[in-house]
Amino acid sequence: MFCTQCGAGNADNAAVCVQCGRSLQGAAPGAALPVQGVPGQGVVLPPGVVVQNYLVFAILATIFCCLPAGIPAIVYAAQVNEKLRAGDLAGATAASNNAKLWCMISAGAFLGIAFIYGMVLLIGILLSVSHSN
Amino acid sequence: MPIRKHWLVAAMCGAAAAAVVMLRVFDPATSGIFPPCPVRYLTGWYCPGCGSLRAIHQLLHGNLRAAWAMNPLTVILLPFVAYGVASSALLELRGQGLPQPFLRAMWIRALCAAIILFGIVRNLPTHPFDWLAPGAMLHL
Repeated sequence: MFCTQCGAGNADNAAVCVQCGRSLQGAAPGAALPVQGVPGQGVVLPPGVVVQNYLVFAILATIFCCLPAGIPAIVYAAQVNEKLRAGDLAGATAASNNAKLWCMISAGAFLGIAFIYGMVLLIGILLSVSHSN
Repeated sequence: MPIRKHWLVAAMCGAAAAAVVMLRVFDPATSGIFPPCPVRYLTGWYCPGCGSLRAIHQLLHGNLRAAWAMNPLTVILLPFVAYGVASSALLELRGQGLPQPFLRAMWIRALCAAIILFGIVRNLPTHPFDWLAPGAMLHL
């Protein structure tokens, strides 16, 4: 059966959803839930499909590398959950892709800065070695 | 599941392990091998993450008080972020993450606002706000 809150696929006898922890008791086992979203009840996804919000990576991006790219990632992560809850699968997927994109931009900025800083350190070391000779 | 993703997860785990070893051995406060915060470098302002590397260095040495003084936000968020990252890795590897609550959008937005607010407040020059600047609480 599929969780009515987050849409994750669960075993038919599961008590709570493995993805979001919502109680699955009371839901009819194997009930044929529509694949498209039901407003107010959440999106029901096909088995194995998860719409990720990348929230942890957005937080990591914000506090460890790159605040300007991390904040939009968190905003899109919020949109993913808002749209999943509203039953808007297409909107949630689009927001998920945007959240991922901003996490990638942040990771790219981090690697770029680390590379430039490493180069500056290396040049500094080489210069100091050549001066001492 | 594509093999490529196993490599991605393995590479990220390796990078995380290397970062932990580096942060345990070298103190970002005194050694020059960690880059400065770009926001601080360019604007002179503390960002919400300033002090987070120093905080993790102190945590890896068991100094919770010193870590808290460097960046309380990082100390609070770190266990949740570690759980979330582990969940994402498991989701990639076996198609199922760890159990976690479905967060309402308003809570995620509240978290975002709290991070931004923390970043603003720790730059204010008056007590008690300036105690939130990295390391300030060590001198109380």
